[in-house]
Amino acid sequence: MHKRGLRDWVLPGALLTSTLIKCCIGLGSYSGKGTPPMYGDYEAQRHWMELTLHLPVREWYWYDLQYWGLDYPPLTGYVSWLCGVVGSWIEPSWFALDKSRGIETEGSKVFLRSTVLILDALIYVSALVVFANIWQAMRSKRTQNLALLTLLFQPALLLIDFGHFQYNSVMLGEENLGLTLHALNLFAMGHDLWGAVFFAFSLCFKQMALYYAPAIGTYLLAKCLYLGRPEGQVINWERLFVRLAIVTVFTFFLLFLPFLPPFAPLSGIGQAIRRIFPFARGLFEDKVSNFWCATNVVIKWKFWISRALLVKLSTLLTLLGSMPCVVILLSTARRMQFARQTAQESADMTAQPPFLALLPYALLTSSLSFFLFSFQVHEKTILLPLLPVTLLLSGAPIDSTAYTWGALVNNVAVFSMWPLLKKDGLGLQYTATLVLWNRLIGYNPFTWPPKSFTHIFSLAVYFAAISIHLLEMTVTPPQRYPDIFTVLNVLVCTPVFVLAWLWSVKSSLKVAWSLGGVSRKPENQKKGAEEERPSAEIRRRVWESGELAEDGETS
Amino acid sequence: MSMKGHSKSIQSRAGPSELQGEKTDAVPTANWRSWFQWDIEHGEWDIFVFATVLKLLLFPSYRSTDFEVHRNWLAITHSLPISKWYYDTTSEWTLDYPPFFAYFEKLLSVPAFLLDSKIVDLHNLKYESWSVIAYQRTTVIVSELVLVLALHRFIRDSVDPSTQRIISASIFLHPGFLIVDHIHFQYNGFLFGILLWSILMARNGNKLASGTLFAVLLNFKHIYMYLAPAYFIYLLRSYCMTPSGQVQVRNFLSLANMVIAVFLASLGPFALMGQLPQLFSRLFPFTRGLNHAYWAPNAWALVTAVDRVLLRYVQYRDLNVSVNTAGVASTSRGLVGDTVFAILPNVQPIHTFTATLASQSICLFKLWKTPTYKSFLTAITLCGYSSFLFGWHVHEKAVLLVLVPLSLLAAERQVYFRTFIIASVAGVYSLFPLLYTPAESFVKVIYSILWVTYVYVPLSKRIYEFPTTPATVALDIAEKLYLAGFPLLLLFVNAYTLWVKRRMINTEESGTDTMEFLPLMATSVYCAIGLVWGYVRLTYIYLHEDTYQGQLSEIG
Repeated sequence: MHKRGLRDWVLPGALLTSTLIKCCIGLGSYSGKGTPPMYGDYEAQRHWMELTLHLPVREWYWYDLQYWGLDYPPLTGYVSWLCGVVGSWIEPSWFALDKSRGIETEGSKVFLRSTVLILDALIYVSALVVFANIWQAMRSKRTQNLALLTLLFQPALLLIDFGHFQYNSVMLGEENLGLTLHALNLFAMGHDLWGAVFFAFSLCFKQMALYYAPAIGTYLLAKCLYLGRPEGQVINWERLFVRLAIVTVFTFFLLFLPFLPPFAPLSGIGQAIRRIFPFARGLFEDKVSNFWCATNVVIKWKFWISRALLVKLSTLLTLLGSMPCVVILLSTARRMQFARQTAQESADMTAQPPFLALLPYALLTSSLSFFLFSFQVHEKTILLPLLPVTLLLSGAPIDSTAYTWGALVNNVAVFSMWPLLKKDGLGLQYTATLVLWNRLIGYNPFTWPPKSFTHIFSLAVYFAAISIHLLEMTVTPPQRYPDIFTVLNVLVCTPVFVLAWLWSVKSSLKVAWSLGGVSRKPENQKKGAEEERPSAEIRRRVWESGELAEDGETS
Repeated sequence: MSMKGHSKSIQSRAGPSELQGEKTDAVPTANWRSWFQWDIEHGEWDIFVFATVLKLLLFPSYRSTDFEVHRNWLAITHSLPISKWYYDTTSEWTLDYPPFFAYFEKLLSVPAFLLDSKIVDLHNLKYESWSVIAYQRTTVIVSELVLVLALHRFIRDSVDPSTQRIISASIFLHPGFLIVDHIHFQYNGFLFGILLWSILMARNGNKLASGTLFAVLLNFKHIYMYLAPAYFIYLLRSYCMTPSGQVQVRNFLSLANMVIAVFLASLGPFALMGQLPQLFSRLFPFTRGLNHAYWAPNAWALVTAVDRVLLRYVQYRDLNVSVNTAGVASTSRGLVGDTVFAILPNVQPIHTFTATLASQSICLFKLWKTPTYKSFLTAITLCGYSSFLFGWHVHEKAVLLVLVPLSLLAAERQVYFRTFIIASVAGVYSLFPLLYTPAESFVKVIYSILWVTYVYVPLSKRIYEFPTTPATVALDIAEKLYLAGFPLLLLFVNAYTLWVKRRMINTEESGTDTMEFLPLMATSVYCAIGLVWGYVRLTYIYLHEDTYQGQLSEIG
């Protein structure tokens, strides 16, 4: 494309093509299509538009909870309300209170699909474009475009958003990721405060953004640490810390305001929180490829341990799992601050710190730990770890481990959602998007002979996945084990996610180590502190050294 | 494309035309090996994978009645003996394609039966389970491989492979195929594949094969008769006669034998059973009106529009003109199959027939004088174009007959390219009303924009020429303005439809009062202007061909 003078047309073309693919996926089935009385997630989202449109804000978390009561944070409610307003202007019957339940007219479907498309374009796609420009600033235009394509056509997100239509992980999850991504972009530009605001938005959109909270919180803390308290200057780190705290609290306060007195009775906020964090539900929903569900094959957790203890245990494990990213970020920041102090340099509060390269790995570690160990996980939640994985993959050269792992985790994540997609009637879209994306990133899962451990492991996983698909097509499951294929699916996917978690910790350590190497050279550091461009230079060096270190080990 | 193939092709084409009788014998034996060497490039695979994925995703999309038509044909050919194929009336969608297509359906019905026997059950009308959708949609994609392979072959021996690659990709990805085949449902990709193989054979100098393939194509779908005059003249002049005008009896006989053999294979069984009259009555139902339900954007659409405007004017000024009352009723509905004019004299089939032949004879005369490949290609396009513009009861889908051969000429010179762009934009846009469901509307619009962009940008960079005289500058601006009108038209059509809908809800007016038909009429008329203009342009270029020598002129 580039050599034919199409350079300027790659970006609009990519955006338009991805929109086209999204529209085409949207032609297919969705969650709960034509299945009264409860329908599925599509209906849930439509119902929220209906109820937020017709009810005062204080009743949102109380209305007919048995029929898809609202159970996401307020920002979801506000956006649903906006969609409801626009939709009922076009056609009032789509969102008539109670009467519109289960409505599946041609028009209402197109409207709902297009709301996903528009919100996606406004928030997620825009964030991706900015990401490809900022995070890959030192790379060629071609790499930037390829990174964007990798992210735009990520199959798991396409399938869940535009196929399954679970607004709670679709528009919301989607937007949630988008908001988080905006936050990351802002961090990279050095606008920490705005980043924090966006992340707070993200949390108020969907509580699942908590998966990222340890990494983001630690990153901001690490930045405070890194700034330190240089002699003879205004006290830097306290100022940033206090500002961050104020901004975050204020954002939360604003978004929850309608649920607080005097606008609503005090019980309103309690109800909202109970709805948002449903600890009253089970350890996991359906079958999900995490630690609890996989080990449940051997150990029947529910019979051995009480729910209260399980909640505590899962929380403890989750925190332990996300510990590495906290420790690595903080220690790197501390070490670099020492190095800088000894080199007698000052740091600019608005410049990006050199350890920014650690952030995607940290996000991956913490979100994977939440996915693997926390309470009440859905299979769709794998989208959260997939964002940092795909961000890492998007910038990685084709022979790096980040590339191999990124592609593997993405493919396996889609495979882990197969039971759900099959139920939705999205088998065709499942195949099509997987083929398209793998072709796009130039990934051939079946390269022979395998060159590294990751390679052999990938091959084994793909072989297992394909075998399960073939078995499922040809054999009917035995009566005693009707879920046998789903369980097999879980058993194949969980080890991949566990290993991906390990890989993320290992990679963070390597990047941290190479950062340490950079920081000990004052002449480089001087460049880094000067302005935006040289710090990007350092990041590129870090990136490359990380890649080199990894390649050295694997080959 | 390697340089080796390139130079070889030049050599093979450089052979004097006198030797072509021998060459036709030599080609199959010498080149048989090359048939199995496809050497497909990475980028070509990318395009193929992308297109296939897109088509897979379109499986659940809207299907027209043509889907049920073809399913019914599967059932007819599978469950009835051949003697009853053209007599069956179980479904209203009776078999009305020539026998080769019926054989093709018979072939397809075997796997269909194995997959799900309900697909080929004659009485299982309007069967719409996932199995039949997936199966029939898959057959479209698979049969389109004929087109893919032909287009790939076009690259191999072309004068400028990299340009030809863009053209080939543009035909393969043509929005017309996507809309008509993969959403609306037909087998045009497969049929145009045969046509392109035939054209390719003509380019490579194998005129016997070209003629035979065209005869085969005619027996698949008789609409390709639109192109037949150009084939007839070309083969007669350049294959059956020497350049000096002497008849080559051997060539003539071999071509005649091949064509007769093809027709025997197709019609023979039915002739033996004495069913030819019944067969032809199915193929040529002369009971339909001048315009199709939605006016195809041709000359008659413009005439009809003029009639409507005149009627309004007469009614408004209360003039004393004899008004045909049936025409008034026809006008007010705006969208009827049988068009009757209110003011202008009515058009009879014989008029359309004369107009078509008259316009075709211009290009045929030129073709007779210069029977080169490029001239042939232009003549095919113009023949199809004439039939489309002046034919009786033309279907809007027939515009593909113009657009596909025209694409092969696109990169010849700027004048051809501009004609191609105008006709393609107007032609593709005129297919939009086929898909009226909102979900597919997004798909058709976005896809067409993408296609136009990615065909226009690389090709225009290659062959752009500045307009030199004031007249051409003015023309250039006018054409650009016309093209810029399409987004506005799209906006108008959608806004108007929405407005009518809201108004009908609020005031309970009927469709007639709100002029519900206006968007369709506007689409048809606006596209017709572009297509007629494209025709005028191409005819002019063809008649002054010497001025516009391009790469294809190298092919003898």
